[in-house]
Amino acid sequence: MPHSRSLLRVARRITSNIPAAEDLVQEALLRAWRSFDHFEPGTNARAWLFRIMFNAFYAQGRKVRSSPVLVPLDDPVAQSEVKSSSGPSWTDSAALARALDALSNEHRTVLTLGIVEGFTCREMAEILSVPIGTVMSRLSRARHALRERLAPADSEFGHSRSSAACAEREAS
Amino acid sequence: MNCGEVTYLTPLYITGELDARRSAEFDAHLKSCPACLAELERQARLDARLREVVFAEESNAIRVDRRVRELIAAEAATGALPQMRPRPRRWVKPALGIAAAALLVIAAGYQTLLGTRVARVYADAAFDHYLEIVQHGPRPWLTDPAQIAALAEQQGIARSAVTALASRGYHLDRGKLCFLDGRIFLHLVFSDGAQEFSVYLRRRDARPLPGPAREIANGMPLCTSDIKGEHVASVESSTLLAVVVTDKSSDAALNFARFASAVL
Repeated sequence: MPHSRSLLRVARRITSNIPAAEDLVQEALLRAWRSFDHFEPGTNARAWLFRIMFNAFYAQGRKVRSSPVLVPLDDPVAQSEVKSSSGPSWTDSAALARALDALSNEHRTVLTLGIVEGFTCREMAEILSVPIGTVMSRLSRARHALRERLAPADSEFGHSRSSAACAEREAS
Repeated sequence: MNCGEVTYLTPLYITGELDARRSAEFDAHLKSCPACLAELERQARLDARLREVVFAEESNAIRVDRRVRELIAAEAATGALPQMRPRPRRWVKPALGIAAAALLVIAAGYQTLLGTRVARVYADAAFDHYLEIVQHGPRPWLTDPAQIAALAEQQGIARSAVTALASRGYHLDRGKLCFLDGRIFLHLVFSDGAQEFSVYLRRRDARPLPGPAREIANGMPLCTSDIKGEHVASVESSTLLAVVVTDKSSDAALNFARFASAVL
């Protein structure tokens, strides 16, 4: 099925649950197949499929509502992160995935759609049925939240462009 | 443009959605503001890393695909799925409101008055062609003619049939297997240099291709359907079923079907 891998990546993020993500993608593809006569040729089929998936997600009343990421107490990696004063490094794949999963559902959604799947802000607005300005602000806040979780003191990745530096430049 | 505006517009800049004027202003600001430039570079590095991490995660798309295909096949077999439904044309609604008698008549004969029912196999072929050829769905294809011929033989289709279709200006480009109406078809993609044609082949079985014949070519019935911009033509030989789909024109689909009737 075209795009099923891409749908699964996003479904995995909005459900935080692999079986629920597979069920959601399955439901979305079946709905798409059944309603192909409602598809407008010449429009973006990939965005259409994603919109169907999000509609299915909302229609389920969020029965597959995402649950918080549970960190086992005996997970040495997680424990070291808790103890670390500088937070996990963004170069660590597992830490980056956990930081993404720990964000709010809205933030995970826009980051996955926009950064991972490469949708434009306009396409995301259509998929999520929200104004484009909402997408832009969510994306900015999501990036900020992810970076906060990753490495607040990381010189490579942290917020080195301080508001003070910008304000100083704006004033000059 | 100031730093605040750059921060706000960064999502649109990254996705190329800024208009030319604001994009030039954005670029000009970056040239004069090392802090904003460094910020954008850090963001780009994080984006790349995030993509790398998420793409590396395992997902079982094959299992999901298989389940969806099984469900589609099961529902199609029981007839539970609706046929492709033509949407009511706008001018029909006032007409319905004018006369109650006409309403009853039209409602009773809705499907036949406003459009033609489309058989599932043709609807599936049109959908498959649109997603995988027109939209370039990321699917693994065989491109080696010898491998495609071997795949055809596995499905009970003679190599000579595949070879015969790749003649008279039609070039065989790629092939794979797919499901249409719950049955396996060999999906071949041919090109005439200007347009791609999907040809779905299957060894003839107890279920003939549906629909009234538009014409008889070389003793074989040819059927046609137009589905949401996709043009479908089918031909049934003594041994094979072939469904041709193109988004070019119904004549192009019909011409390929006539050609297929001559060589199959």
